[in-house]
Amino acid sequence: MKKIFVDYRKCVACKSCETACAVAHHPNGSLFGLVGDIRTQVNVRVLGVEHEAFPVSCRHCDPAACLTACPAGAIARDAASGAVVQNPEKCQACAMCAMVCPFDAISFKHTHRALPGREVAYKCDLCHQRLAQGHAPACVQACHSGALVFKVSEPQREKRAVASLKVYLLGEGGEPPLFALHRELRRKTFARRRMGKS
Amino acid sequence: MCPRADHRSVDPAAAAMLKISDRDGFETAWSRLEAQQPQCGYGQLGTCCRNCSMGPCRIDPLEEGPRRGVCGANADTMVARNLARMAAAGSSAHSDHGRKVALLLKEVASGRNTDYTIINPDKLMVVAGRLGIATAGRETLAVANDVADVAIGCFGAQGEETIPFVLGYMPKKRLELLKNLEVTLSELTGARIGLLPRGIDREVVDIMHRTHFGCDADPLTLIAQTLRCSFGDGWGGSLIATECQDILFGSPTVRTIKANLGVLDAEMVNVLVHGHEPVLSEKVVEWARSPEMTAAAKAVGAKGVNVAGLCCTGNEILMRQGVNVAGNLLHSELAIMTGAVEAMVVDVQCIFPSLADLSSCFHTRFITTSEQTNIPGSLHIQFEEHEANAIARRIIQTAIDAYPNRNAAKVYIPQETEEAMVGFTVEQVVGALGGKLDPLVEVIANGTIKGVVGIVGCNNAKVQQDFFHLSLTRELIKRDILVLGTGCWAIAAAKAGLMNLGAQQLAGPGLKAVCTQLCIPPVLHMGSCVDCSRMLVLTGALADHLGVDTSALPVVGSAPEWTTEKAVAIGSYFIGSGLPVHLWPVPPVLGSPVVTKILTESAKDLLGGYFFVEEDPEATADRMEAIIMEKRAGLGL
Repeated sequence: MKKIFVDYRKCVACKSCETACAVAHHPNGSLFGLVGDIRTQVNVRVLGVEHEAFPVSCRHCDPAACLTACPAGAIARDAASGAVVQNPEKCQACAMCAMVCPFDAISFKHTHRALPGREVAYKCDLCHQRLAQGHAPACVQACHSGALVFKVSEPQREKRAVASLKVYLLGEGGEPPLFALHRELRRKTFARRRMGKS
Repeated sequence: MCPRADHRSVDPAAAAMLKISDRDGFETAWSRLEAQQPQCGYGQLGTCCRNCSMGPCRIDPLEEGPRRGVCGANADTMVARNLARMAAAGSSAHSDHGRKVALLLKEVASGRNTDYTIINPDKLMVVAGRLGIATAGRETLAVANDVADVAIGCFGAQGEETIPFVLGYMPKKRLELLKNLEVTLSELTGARIGLLPRGIDREVVDIMHRTHFGCDADPLTLIAQTLRCSFGDGWGGSLIATECQDILFGSPTVRTIKANLGVLDAEMVNVLVHGHEPVLSEKVVEWARSPEMTAAAKAVGAKGVNVAGLCCTGNEILMRQGVNVAGNLLHSELAIMTGAVEAMVVDVQCIFPSLADLSSCFHTRFITTSEQTNIPGSLHIQFEEHEANAIARRIIQTAIDAYPNRNAAKVYIPQETEEAMVGFTVEQVVGALGGKLDPLVEVIANGTIKGVVGIVGCNNAKVQQDFFHLSLTRELIKRDILVLGTGCWAIAAAKAGLMNLGAQQLAGPGLKAVCTQLCIPPVLHMGSCVDCSRMLVLTGALADHLGVDTSALPVVGSAPEWTTEKAVAIGSYFIGSGLPVHLWPVPPVLGSPVVTKILTESAKDLLGGYFFVEEDPEATADRMEAIIMEKRAGLGL
């Protein structure tokens, strides 16, 4: 199965993934259609933790704790993609799924897919409908810096392990020097702000 | 956001107000910075281009994505273009300030404006002399008219000649160096590359033109134009602002004022003036002190009208009128939270739009006055120079009318204030030295003072308020390095007591001895941020006095908590004038190795001045001291 891999060190915090996700899941299907629409659903959020940024979304676990926990049977697995998909029409908004999610990737809101006047759970659906048409998930397609990639697990794991080992064993690769400097300066700025030393 | 208020600011008055803001849930720049996290890395690296509608395009710093935008611009082009536009905006802000004062001088000289007069004819004659305008036996107003014409002419000049203010003020060797560099660069590239400004407005327009879709893509020429435009600010617009204000409102003189929020008076009608231009605030001060307004204040139960400054409007009027200053940029919201401000009157630049909403939580009237600064939620009282008295009176009356609405339960004024000796213009520094530069040169030459560092302001919520300003300043004076500067740095130093005579105790033995002898503090207030021109003039005077280029002098610049595009222009004209300049936070250039190299390395070879970035105050002082010692060695000291 293909999964969305996150390399947070490559995340530039531009939030292109958030915007692309919002557009892909909006009934209007355009950026300008969703501006000011409070029912817009964004399934990935770039969270700032000190100087680091991390795009958080559903990991589509297998087995999935949310799927087992949901008393309404509103969460199911998409056979073709393996995605854990939430059905807003069955959702009772009991929040069992959110409580058991190890990644805090489930939010609640009156989305466009919710029944009238109802708050429902919503989360990443792996863009399984786009996948069926041969496209990558919207967030992955939008990511310029390689922080999000959509790959089959094992070869991707091996590729990343080799890349890391090249840095470790051969001193090759790694970040471009000025980007490394940028990250280091960001880290220092945040550290000083937290510790009260500027 | 750090839950501890004293981690957001080293100023105890700010920490006290932040506790109130945390308790009552007021937004501040600090909380909004937190809400903005994480901030976009493309913006921080300078590799986002929005200059056409095929974009926006971004070049990722990890070399994973495309290397070029739709038009083919690469990261170097984007970063250089964005930097140039920042300098153009910064130069515009400073220079437009200068334009208004030059136009007012013309109005006064021609007799069309009688609300203002020429307070300092002596300075007028000095400026006229610099510009080659005849003064002997001529009427003041006639000379003023000619000076105003030359100043105004600098903005709109269309020829290829360098503007008169640059020719009249830039030290000779630097002028020669820049002329020669123009020739060298042109020979190297085959292109015409200019550095000396032809017209203040023209160089801004040139940047907007060459950074328009499909024009200049070469980082070298883009940076050359960035310098040219910035020279038009430092040796043009800002200098015109300083000189014409000195003529119209009087040259600042050394005096003692109080700084920090404690200058607000619970028993008075408090009026804060905030922004940059003194044209209106001079009148506000005049009217606040008038018997008529004092009587009106007493009629509503106050003891009178108390004007205090914020930011550079504060710097302008403290230097000339001895008005106390309530704080620097990050104090602007905190001041309103005291609940004791009847009116905040703003002109232009560095005014948070948030102030309108915040004022609505109190009885405070937030009054905008400039056609260029309109803020939803404010009370707009349009300022007109020819009706200055009537408008200033109306503003004070508006503040007095608000006084009865003050809610005593909401009032909390931190008691912190420090005394500060301010007003050290070039003229006053030379005056303190007995009318000539030789004593300063002598103490530098014999090593009593190692060198001079000029620091310019801003606060930046990313840096603990005033921490870098104060730590760096303390570290430098301890090492016998004289510190002078402007802007929000100057207010930070004043609030911390570094500008009173007691601060001599914090200086190294050499600097302490000199300051004791001259009866001055070791940290000198040179004015508002347009008064960075005073630092240029002083540097130029030292260079000419010694017959060397400015880059030979043991002088370094710094903008340690910079925020605005004006700081980009200031930094650029400093390095172009031969001075190494420290910056923190890092400017948005790291997305381009080429631009970074030009600004930090090539500039040193070509101009003598260059940028360096350092996040730790002590390490910054180390680096500055090393530069100063290197320059001293160069001079054979």
